[in-house]
Amino acid sequence: MLGFLFRRLGDIIPTFFGVTLLVFFLIRLIPGDPILMLAGERGVDAERYAELQAQYGFDQPIIVQYFDYLVGVFQGDLGKSFVTKKPVIDEFLTLFPATVELALMGILFAVFIGVPLGVLAAINRGKWIDHLTMSISLTGYSMPIFWWALLLIMFFSTTLGWTPVSGRLSVMYFFEPVTGFMLIDSLLSGEKGAFSSAVSHLILPTIALGTIPMAVIARMTRSSMLEVLGEEYIRVARAKGLAPFRVIMVHALRNALIPVITVIGLQVGVLLGGAILTETIFSWPGIGKWIIEAMNRRDYPTIQGGILMIAFVVMTMNLIVDLLYGVVNPRIRHKR
Amino acid sequence: MALLEVKNLTVEFGSEDKPFRAVDSVSYSVDRGEVLGIVGESGSGKSVSSLAVMGLIDFPGRVTADALTFDGQDLLTMPAKRRRQITGKDIAMIFQDPMSALNPCFTVEAQIMEALKVHEGGNKKQRRERTLDLLNQVGIPDPKSRMTAYPHQLSGGMSQRIVIAMAIACNPRLLIADEPTTALDVTIQAQIIDLLLKLQEDSDMGLLLITHDLALVSEAANRIQVMYAGQLFESGPADSIFAAPRHPYTQALLEALPERSEGHDRLRTIPGVVPGQYDRPAGCLLAPRCRYANENCVKARPEVSDFNGRDVRCFYPLNDQGQPTGMATGETV
Repeated sequence: MLGFLFRRLGDIIPTFFGVTLLVFFLIRLIPGDPILMLAGERGVDAERYAELQAQYGFDQPIIVQYFDYLVGVFQGDLGKSFVTKKPVIDEFLTLFPATVELALMGILFAVFIGVPLGVLAAINRGKWIDHLTMSISLTGYSMPIFWWALLLIMFFSTTLGWTPVSGRLSVMYFFEPVTGFMLIDSLLSGEKGAFSSAVSHLILPTIALGTIPMAVIARMTRSSMLEVLGEEYIRVARAKGLAPFRVIMVHALRNALIPVITVIGLQVGVLLGGAILTETIFSWPGIGKWIIEAMNRRDYPTIQGGILMIAFVVMTMNLIVDLLYGVVNPRIRHKR
Repeated sequence: MALLEVKNLTVEFGSEDKPFRAVDSVSYSVDRGEVLGIVGESGSGKSVSSLAVMGLIDFPGRVTADALTFDGQDLLTMPAKRRRQITGKDIAMIFQDPMSALNPCFTVEAQIMEALKVHEGGNKKQRRERTLDLLNQVGIPDPKSRMTAYPHQLSGGMSQRIVIAMAIACNPRLLIADEPTTALDVTIQAQIIDLLLKLQEDSDMGLLLITHDLALVSEAANRIQVMYAGQLFESGPADSIFAAPRHPYTQALLEALPERSEGHDRLRTIPGVVPGQYDRPAGCLLAPRCRYANENCVKARPEVSDFNGRDVRCFYPLNDQGQPTGMATGETV
């Protein structure tokens, strides 16, 4: 078990290098000069431009710049934002809880809707209920997030007026963040109505973000469930005289979930990618929106730092899922 | 009254207008304390008929019977819930492949205790004690440490012992063993059969032993039922079937036994395979493979009839010399 953990951690290091390399050089391929962006429409004279270039280190050869950056990263220094002049890591840590909250809700939505849908489809294979759930999941999977989010806003927020259009909390409430998670903070604040406001702000972004993972999970659950239902031990369970519900929910689902868990782990990456779009549309003050803004301003340290941190989170999540795998699947647990 | 009474059991798959009969009007009965052996090749409907008794034939399979009773209770008409109280408790089944019969995600203990919980109740401590007893009973060495083992940590023979323990957990009155030794090592096979017969004798269970191993039924069974392509071909007391088979198929099966092939260069076999859904002959189902078949056999399908006190489905049942009766000589095609 411990050996496995170290092996996996060992895998993370080269991946991490790869990410820094990609991120560092790819953003520099995007046309646009951060100094000119900062200067705005009035422009900047040649002397001042050279001065600023030296200040940000752009006068150095690009390889040197990269190694400077790398040295910083390994000392835990992601640099300072060109725009806000604040350390990238501080900004990241302030905004990250908002993204985590959204992503967590998204994955919960995906799992708690997707798994039952998949089970329902599998036990009703070939009947209308199977076709219906699989059509829903195919539609969900093919729907571009930005468009789906706009449709949701148009219908539920604009036409029906059930949910707010954007943001994390109504402007009527204000309190100092404690955990950074609005659901928890609003409860801690003790302000009346704050919690329900936070919940209602979360609903649409959660659905928009969770739909694709939900569709993937539903399809995976269905096919995995169908495979397991054909196994001999399911017949044995029925031969014991167990109720059909117990056979399906205990004997079949437990086994069917093994591949589904892998898929859930992979969806974490999709979710963080999707968060960028979702947050932009719902003005959700999280990492996604932050990175998009940084890109528009060619704020190199913020983009690099943000993407690096996201990559780190995804890798950690995958590691956790791999460890979790052993909990669900005894065959793996004992091999390691 | 017999413990299990099956009359004209038919199991059909496929569409209503062109169904495939996996089991075709099969009748048998098992008494308490009796061992009934059902033999036949793969695809002869042995397993399907026993699954029908267990109520494990799923849609789109259709089960019909003139009678399917256990201890006088009609299994076909009773509500599903009542039937589940009988399956697993009074009627239990052992499946062919022990390695796939155990759920890989649960411990041995959990899987045996589950059946106990559903049918017997009691508290966890009692169930655990009973499980330990059962593991002892089926001859598992060091049962205490095996309780918490997962199926992948067990050998095939060990798994089959667990499966048997699971089946006899609630003291069933009828045990159906569907090829319980097929997937096992030859050395383990005898042990498992001995175990099954000992358990059967000790508790006076009825045992339905399904197998394609003739040597095995010859030792174990009181009565034998020979099936072919879903139909009953011959049934009767074990020793008399072995001494004088009345059906050409039984005769051919017995001749295929290695110990009866002495003096021959090669093992004698039955040419061809059991007909499936699409190549069922119009006449007797065995006709294409039968060495005695004549035109009549190709055209018409024989019914089961009594011949010298045995049920035989053949126009020309064999006499004590192993020659067909009632057929003009030289008539075979």
